[in-house]
Amino acid sequence: METDLFLTPLVDGLLREVLDAPDTLFGMVEALGSPLNLVAPRQIAENVARYRAVLGKHHLGGGVFFAHKANRSSALVRELAAGDAGVDVASLGELRHVLAAGFSGDRIMATGPKDADFLWLAARVGAVVNADSREELAELASIVARHRLPAVRVMVRLSAFDSPGVRVLSRLSRFGVHARELGAVLDLLDAHRDELDLHGMAYHLDTNGLPEKAAALEGCLLAMREAAARGFAPTAVDIGGGFGVNYLVDQGEWERYTTELSNAVLGARSPMTWQNHGYGLRAEAGTLRGALGVYPSHRPVAGADYLDALLDREAPSLGRPLATLLLESLYDLHVEPGRALVDQCGLTLARVAEVRATHAGDTLVRLAANSRDISMEDHAVLADPVLLPARPAPVGPVGPVGVYLSGNLCLEDDLITRRKVALPRVPVPGDLLAFANTAGYFMDFAADHALMQPIARKVAVFRAGGAWKWCLDDQYWPVKGDR
Amino acid sequence: MKYDSILDVIGETPLVRVAPDVHGLRNIDLYAKLEMLNPFGSVKDRPAWNMAREGLSQAVERGDSIVELSSGNTAKALAVIAAMHGLPFKSVTNRMKVPEIKDLLLLLGAEIEELPGQTECLDPTDTEDPLTRMYRMLTEEGSGYLHTDQYFNPRNLDAHRGGTAPEIVKDLGGRGPDIFIACVGTAGSSTGVAGVLREHNPAVSVVGLVAHKSDFIPGIRNIDEVNEVGLFDPANYDTIESVTAQEAIDGMLTLNRRCGMLGGPTGGAAYFGAVRHLKEIDETLTERRTAVFIVCDRVESYMSYVRQRRPELLRQPPRADSVDTLTDAEAAAAVSVDVAAAREWIERDRPLVVDLRGSFAYSALHIADSVNIVDEIFDELVRGGLPFGSSRPVLLVCPVGEKSARYAALLAKLGHRDARSLRGGVVAWRDAGAPLVRD
Repeated sequence: METDLFLTPLVDGLLREVLDAPDTLFGMVEALGSPLNLVAPRQIAENVARYRAVLGKHHLGGGVFFAHKANRSSALVRELAAGDAGVDVASLGELRHVLAAGFSGDRIMATGPKDADFLWLAARVGAVVNADSREELAELASIVARHRLPAVRVMVRLSAFDSPGVRVLSRLSRFGVHARELGAVLDLLDAHRDELDLHGMAYHLDTNGLPEKAAALEGCLLAMREAAARGFAPTAVDIGGGFGVNYLVDQGEWERYTTELSNAVLGARSPMTWQNHGYGLRAEAGTLRGALGVYPSHRPVAGADYLDALLDREAPSLGRPLATLLLESLYDLHVEPGRALVDQCGLTLARVAEVRATHAGDTLVRLAANSRDISMEDHAVLADPVLLPARPAPVGPVGPVGVYLSGNLCLEDDLITRRKVALPRVPVPGDLLAFANTAGYFMDFAADHALMQPIARKVAVFRAGGAWKWCLDDQYWPVKGDR
Repeated sequence: MKYDSILDVIGETPLVRVAPDVHGLRNIDLYAKLEMLNPFGSVKDRPAWNMAREGLSQAVERGDSIVELSSGNTAKALAVIAAMHGLPFKSVTNRMKVPEIKDLLLLLGAEIEELPGQTECLDPTDTEDPLTRMYRMLTEEGSGYLHTDQYFNPRNLDAHRGGTAPEIVKDLGGRGPDIFIACVGTAGSSTGVAGVLREHNPAVSVVGLVAHKSDFIPGIRNIDEVNEVGLFDPANYDTIESVTAQEAIDGMLTLNRRCGMLGGPTGGAAYFGAVRHLKEIDETLTERRTAVFIVCDRVESYMSYVRQRRPELLRQPPRADSVDTLTDAEAAAAVSVDVAAAREWIERDRPLVVDLRGSFAYSALHIADSVNIVDEIFDELVRGGLPFGSSRPVLLVCPVGEKSARYAALLAKLGHRDARSLRGGVVAWRDAGAPLVRD
C-alpha cells in the first residue's frame, strides 16, 4: 500500500470530539447495533448561519430552505424549526414530518412530484408550492377552488434556458417547464388569480457548473420581468441547491489518488479497485476514454462559498453581477441546499465482522452493515473511513493497508467500497469503522430491510454542560443541550 | 515576401535565441521557436490547416460544417479557415475558459456549444467524455460535418513532422537541438517535432510539460488529461514535468519584458519549464548544448487570465475623484435622508432624483420622475466633473443606500452644494410603502 493513496476524510466540529471518545461509541454500538448513525443537530444551525452570512453580505433578503430528502432525521429538522430556516419537502411524508417537528406552513416549500393529497396539505397549511408543470398548477388551482382554500403562493420551476452568444448546454431535466413555455403558464395563473398567487421563479439544475447556473438565474430574472409585465407581482427567485460539499482534508491526496486511478485503468500500475473498476474510465488502445464518474470529493469552493461565487458572477446578457441584479430588482433569493446544509452533521459507525484474505491476495473486510446503509459508493464519494480499534488494542502487523469493504447482504455487488480504502493497519473483528460526513444522502436515503437485515438506528449528539451527550434521534428536541 | 493566400503564410516561423543574461545558463544556447508569428496567431495554424485541407473541397461542395472539440487556438484557426471557404464552424467545448478567445470566435462567426458540468447528484450512467459525446452527435445528425478530430488525427502530427521540425533542424545547421522542451496539449507539436529531431540526433532529450493538476494553463493538459489524448504516448518523452499557472505567468513576463517576445502563458510555461530543467544540467556540462522551446501563441488574448491570477500586474493607480479614493471621513460626512424626509423634500424642492441601479431593475420599478444613471456610467461622468449644476439639489438612490452615500460624498467633495443619499435605498422606500412606478 502506497501511503500517499490515503483519502483522509474531513471531520469537524462536535463529531471530531465524538470520534476522540471511542469508548462511548463502542458502548453505543453494543447497545444499539451496527450500523449506527450519529447526527449533530446543532451543526445544521451553524451551517444555516453561513448561508445567511452570504445573503447578508450581498444585502439580499430571502430564505434558506433545507432540502429534507438529504436526511430523514427528526433531530435535524426540529433543530431547524427552532431557528429561522425554512424547509423544502418533496413528499407528503416529509411535509407531515416537518409539520410535526414544529414548522409553520409559511416556512415550508413543497417541491418535486406531487399527488393531490400532498398538494392539498401544502395548500391547507400555507406552504409555497414550487410547481413543476402547468398540469400541476391546474390541479392545485382546482383543489384550492374545490376546498375553498385561501390562495396558495406558487413558484414556477423553469428548466432549459436560452443563452446568448455561446450555447451553454444543460442536461435535459424531467422537472420544470421550458423558459419558452412561460407565456402559457402565466395564462394559466392569470385565469386562477383567486387560487394561485405567483411568488416567484425557480430553477434547480443538477450540475456543479457555474456558467449553467448563471444562465438559469438570469433566465429567472427575465421571467420575473415577463410576469411583472403581465401584472403579477412576484418577489422571489429560488435557485435550488447543489452547492456541494468538500469531503477531504487534502487536495494533494485527492489529486494523487485520481492520477493513480487513471494509471491503474491504463494498466500502468496495480489495480486500486475491485476488478480494476474504472468509475466510468476505460482504456482503449492505451488512451483513456470515458469520464471519471466520481463526486469531486475535494472541493476548494463548496457550500456557502459556492453560493457566494455564483452571486458574484456577471449575468451573461444583463451584464451586472447576479447579486446586484437581484438586489436592485428588490427580489428575495431562496436557496435549497440539502447535502451542503448537513455538511459535518453526521457520521455512520459499522462494526468489523470478519477479515479475510482473497485468493488474489487482497484483504476483504466484511462489516455489519451494507452498501445501502452506507451509500457513499452509490454517490461515488471517495473518502477513507476512520478506524476505531477495539480495546484492548490487538497485536498484529502495523502499517498502512488497502482493504476492500464488503457488506452483510448475500449479494455479489454488496461492496461498501469498490475501491481499496486506506487504513492505518489491518482491522480485526470488533473494531469499528466510522464513515465521516454521511448525513447528506448516505445515511438513510437508500437503507432498507433487504434480507431482513436491521436498518441503522439514529442517535443525536449534542453538547451539554461541557461534555457531549447523546439520545435517540426521535428523543431530541431543541430544548436539549447547551445553547 | 509575396503570397497568393494567407494560408501560404502558415509556417516558416523564426527561431530566435534568448539572450544568456536573461536565462543565466552558461553552457546552453536557448532558442525560442516563435509559432505565435503564424498568421492566425498560434502553433495550431499548422495542424488546423493540415487537417482541414484534406476533405475541404468535398466539404465546400456539400456545404458541410467544420466541427472540432476546442476552446482555443485550434478553434480560432479553424474558424478562420472555415469562414474563408464559406463554411460554418462549430466548436464544442467543456468550458470556454478564455473570454477573449470566446469573443473572437463569435466575431469570426463560429458557433460554440458548452457542454454541461458534472452532475451534483451523481448519475453513474453518465460517463461520456466530450469526445464520445461529439462522435455520437455526429452519428446522430448524419453527414454534413467535417470533423478534424485533433486529439486523434495523425495529420495533426504530420503538420509538425513536415513543417515545424525540419525548420528547426535547418535553422540549427542540420543537426537539431540537444534538448527539446514542449508543452503537451493535443501532443501534436511535441510528438511530431520530437520524432523528427530523434531521426537527426538520436541523443536528443525531450521534455514534456504538463499543467499542475489543480491549475489551468491554456493549451496545456494536466498529467491526467494527457492520458485522454490519442496522440499522446509517454514513451515520446524522456521526462514529463509540471508547471503551475503562476510559473507560466512568470515565464511569460520574462518573455514579454526581457526578450521582447509577446508570447502568452503557454509559451511562458514552456520558457519557465525549459529554464528550470536546463539549470539542473547546465552545471554539469563541459561542452556547449542547444535547446529549443516553442512559443505557442500571443499574450494579447490572455488579459483576463492574467487579471484573474495576478491582478496586481494590471492594476491601475486609483483615480483621484472616484468613490474608491474617498477617505473614511469624507464618506462619513455624506448627507443621508430617510424615506419620510426624502418624500417631503421631493414634494417641496423637486430635487433631481438619480437612480444608480442597473437599467434592468430601473425599468421594472422606480421612484416617479427619477433619472436612471447606472453607477458605472455615473463614475465615468463624474470623472470629468459635476454632471449637473452645483446648486441643483440631487437625491441619489441605490438599492440599500450604501453606494448612494459614497456618491453623495463624492459630489460634495467635488463642490456640489446639496447632494443627499436616500437612507436604506429603494429597499427602504419599498418597505415604507412609498410608491414605485413602472413607466
